Amino acid sequence: MSGDSLSTPLAAGATLPRSVEGIARVVRISGQQVWLEPEQTTSCGHCASSASCGVKANEDAAGIGSLASRLQARRFVLDGPSSLGLVEGERLVVGVSEKALLKASITAYGLPLFFALVTASVVQSLYGEDAKTILGMLAGLAIGLLAARLGARRLAARGELAPRFLRRAMPGETCGTT
Amino acid sequence: MKEFALMMIGAALVNNVILARFLGLCSFMGVTTRVDTAAGMGFATTFVITVSSMADWAVQTYLLEAYGLGFLRTVTFILVIASAVQFTEMTIKKVSPSLFQMLGIYLPLITTNCAVLGVALLLVEGKMGFLEATMFAFASSVGYSLVMVIFAGLRERLALAHVPRLFAGPPIAFVVAGMLAMAFMGFSGIATS
Repeated sequence: MSGDSLSTPLAAGATLPRSVEGIARVVRISGQQVWLEPEQTTSCGHCASSASCGVKANEDAAGIGSLASRLQARRFVLDGPSSLGLVEGERLVVGVSEKALLKASITAYGLPLFFALVTASVVQSLYGEDAKTILGMLAGLAIGLLAARLGARRLAARGELAPRFLRRAMPGETCGTT
Repeated sequence: MKEFALMMIGAALVNNVILARFLGLCSFMGVTTRVDTAAGMGFATTFVITVSSMADWAVQTYLLEAYGLGFLRTVTFILVIASAVQFTEMTIKKVSPSLFQMLGIYLPLITTNCAVLGVALLLVEGKMGFLEATMFAFASSVGYSLVMVIFAGLRERLALAHVPRLFAGPPIAFVVAGMLAMAFMGFSGIATS
């Protein structure tokens, strides 16, 4: 992931209404920007509970498709919280609102699927041929992806997709305890 | 049209992928601790099942059947599903990096979801046309998402309930899953022959 500017910090100790929380580690600080890498919350060996969950294979593996490269690709930038005196290696709790997750899901998956199914149905009823229906479906999928792009741009402009800094993670706090 | 609607209701409720066919049980237990994550996973799986089923139908009809390569079906379908997931991941990353940041976590999980392969193999057994197959896959995945969200809602309530110590956690979740499966058996009353 490139360096999208994704966030606006909340006041220290504040929480989003009904938010989805996750833990991320500070990997770099440059000026006002703090780079964070999410802790993998599924069997990965990267979260603080890896010692007890027993899945630690490939922890340091690099290369295409490896866990390390996948996590690196999901790094993101948090603007502003440099005033909090964060240091590299520190673990933070970040969050997005539940509504934002639902809206993002509908935008990314629902819109393209809706357009694909509608155009496939229309083409099938007009021509009744499977090959033409497939082409219609592909065209619908492309239109849907375009609509998703526009929708995502609107959501991003409103700042709804931005994860926000909630608090510092407590020692030993893991995905399972948040 | 009526047959079409009944086929979709049958795929979503009567022969539910999770509760009647017992496919996708790992995500059913693993991603249903909160309603919002279950809904996110449901949307992602619906998209991947529908798109990969379309691709699987085309591969089956124009390649495997046409050249008598039916014995390669399972391997080919797995490859198609992995490609569909990769395609989805790349497309979302391209369309919106912010959306990818928020939703990308679900996609690698779907590659190993047996419900995706299961639905594709059911399509072949059903010998359906393209649109019928697509709608069947869509209805199956809607049924999957519905059960995921219902179960996540139940588990959120369970987390606040007083549960005997020995039943706390996964044991009570399995008991509730069994009850949900029995409740869904009630839909078999509207099954078509």
